Amino acid sequence: MHILTQLVFSGIALGMIYAVIAFGYQLTFATSDTLNFGQGEALTLGALVGLTLVTLGLNYWLMIPIVCIFGALQGALVERIGVRPAIKIKSEFGWIMSTIALGVIFKNVAENVWGRDDLKFPSPLPESPLHLLGANVLPMEILVVMGAVLMMLVVEVFNRKSIFGKAVVATFNDRDAAKLMGINTGLVITFSYALSSLTASFAGVLIAPLTLTGATMGAVLGLKAFAVAIIGGLTSGMGIVVGGLILGIAETTTGFYLSTGYKDVPGLILLLAVLAFRPAGLFGKTAIKKV
Amino acid sequence: MIRYAKALTAVTLATAAALTGAAEPIKIGVSGPFTGGSSSMGVSMRDGVRLAAEEINKAGGVLGRPLLLIERDDEAKNERGVQIAQEMINKDKVAATVGFINTGVALASQRFYQDARIPVINNVATGSQITHQFDNQPQNYVFRNAAHDRIQAPMIVEEAVVGRRFKKLAILADATNYGQLGREDLEKALAAKGLNAVAVEKFNIKDVDMTAQLLKAKEAGAEAILTYGIGPELAQIANGMTKLGWKVPMIGSWTLSMANYIDNAGLGGEGARMPQTFIQEPTTPKRRAFIDNYVRTFKPKNNRIDSPVSAAQGYDSIYLLAAAIRQAGVTDGPKVLSALENLNEPVEGVVMTYTKPFSRTNHDAITAGIPVMGEVKGQRVIYAYDADFKKASQVPPNAGTTAKAQPQK
Repeated sequence: MHILTQLVFSGIALGMIYAVIAFGYQLTFATSDTLNFGQGEALTLGALVGLTLVTLGLNYWLMIPIVCIFGALQGALVERIGVRPAIKIKSEFGWIMSTIALGVIFKNVAENVWGRDDLKFPSPLPESPLHLLGANVLPMEILVVMGAVLMMLVVEVFNRKSIFGKAVVATFNDRDAAKLMGINTGLVITFSYALSSLTASFAGVLIAPLTLTGATMGAVLGLKAFAVAIIGGLTSGMGIVVGGLILGIAETTTGFYLSTGYKDVPGLILLLAVLAFRPAGLFGKTAIKKV
Repeated sequence: MIRYAKALTAVTLATAAALTGAAEPIKIGVSGPFTGGSSSMGVSMRDGVRLAAEEINKAGGVLGRPLLLIERDDEAKNERGVQIAQEMINKDKVAATVGFINTGVALASQRFYQDARIPVINNVATGSQITHQFDNQPQNYVFRNAAHDRIQAPMIVEEAVVGRRFKKLAILADATNYGQLGREDLEKALAAKGLNAVAVEKFNIKDVDMTAQLLKAKEAGAEAILTYGIGPELAQIANGMTKLGWKVPMIGSWTLSMANYIDNAGLGGEGARMPQTFIQEPTTPKRRAFIDNYVRTFKPKNNRIDSPVSAAQGYDSIYLLAAAIRQAGVTDGPKVLSALENLNEPVEGVVMTYTKPFSRTNHDAITAGIPVMGEVKGQRVIYAYDADFKKASQVPPNAGTTAKAQPQK
């Protein structure tokens, strides 16, 4: 029994790592129908900037706000350079290539500044495991889970309660109508990109003590997080968390009960199934696109 | 991406000019990953090579000509390796090439040298096939001075089964060619001892969670874990064990000595053991000089060479090559090849003194019995056994040509 508990716990921790990254996809999709495919690289940059600050002697918790500001600036830059021109000419796909291109550029910058080796991120919490229900959990894993849930709550509350959030939702529902209502939709979209890279940077420093830090850390994680966003639904904060849990637990349990060689397969089969039967994701609202 | 032009950092040494005025330098290619996941090995190898070339040039060069290194970053990519090989042969017209960290890159690139009849010395890549790729051709231009996997796997099993008396062993290997070929060699070596691994698990490069693999090993009652992978993921295995509160010894291929394993695993990585041809300990005057010189020139972090094995083997590969060119009297590929196969004089290196290291049928300088067990202790790799440490104080004699002439099947 405690084996299953351990697998589920590790799966939850892994899934939440994916979920905190997946939030970034959700945030930009919610305003502009576009995605930042450089999400993994935003995560990498956040983690590496955080690592540099920590190495300079800054406290881990004090470093987080600075990294968040850095992330917000980086996100705004991506939107201005890569996404705005595409939206302006109503290009359906231009932003895909431009965000990927910017991601590659950011990765190369990171490689040249920080090298391509994996570095250790000092853990702010003790590295000895805690015992919980007969299984072992690292304090850092609990922090990641809390971070993911907190992010979900903040995003949901922001979208539902605040006036800015309503502007975000309005922009998503009908960009032109929102504009006529006096909402500066351009600013809202820039803001959503800033917020998305901010969460990615935050996710970066949150997970770095568990995953090793390096210029290539974002590639695989960014892809898995994208799968999570698709499974959960790109329009739902709740869906991201549940999608992360499903993918994470599927990976660890398949690895143990079936074969570690096939551990990525069930999650991806689920992804295909979701795309076939519920294209908006398990928790997503089905949007009818009027042409 | 390091720009191509930047990678072309030919080391022209000041002494070269002073030496003979206009003597044409002997060009030697150096191919290895200087960026990327295996760069700690590539850069250490390159630095070892630079050190040797500099020493040789200071002492007057080879045949009165200085050595000129043509260094190129193959990025651990097969197709880059191929491109570089073609350029070195056709444009730079190198006399020989040393390097290759990654077995795949070596196998893809060296056929061009074979066709052009230019000798290649692999100084780090360990895939067993490397020196046997052209066994069926009249002449084989590929040599190696690194411990190949068929030496390492039995050593790992010997250490686990005989040295530590473990009977239940789990194998964790990565999903790359390196990991899976190594896993096969480990399984064969276990079978030779009449054992089967209790669990054989796989992981991917960049995996961040090893719970499933480790729990399977634990449930199978494994007393130790045998590994074949590279630094970062090996560190995740060690970290995973710390998390599960289940600590059994890790014994694995030489990559357990990589700096990115030691640094990322921290305390959890202590005690890991692996075969090593060279350990950063000044056991002989030659090794002391090499280590001091390396640390002074390249200033590695905490005075710890990132990959001491790669540095030492890189250094030795240049001395082996220089000795062969000197003996051949020319830089012609076929003549250098036959000199390498019949080296008259012993070559003093830091791994060992090479007495007739190669023959017509054997192109592997490192044979069973030469590597020793290393252990991670206090964030460095040290000798696992005192006896080895004492023995190392006299440079191990070469195993002799009789043992080496046997074809390795």
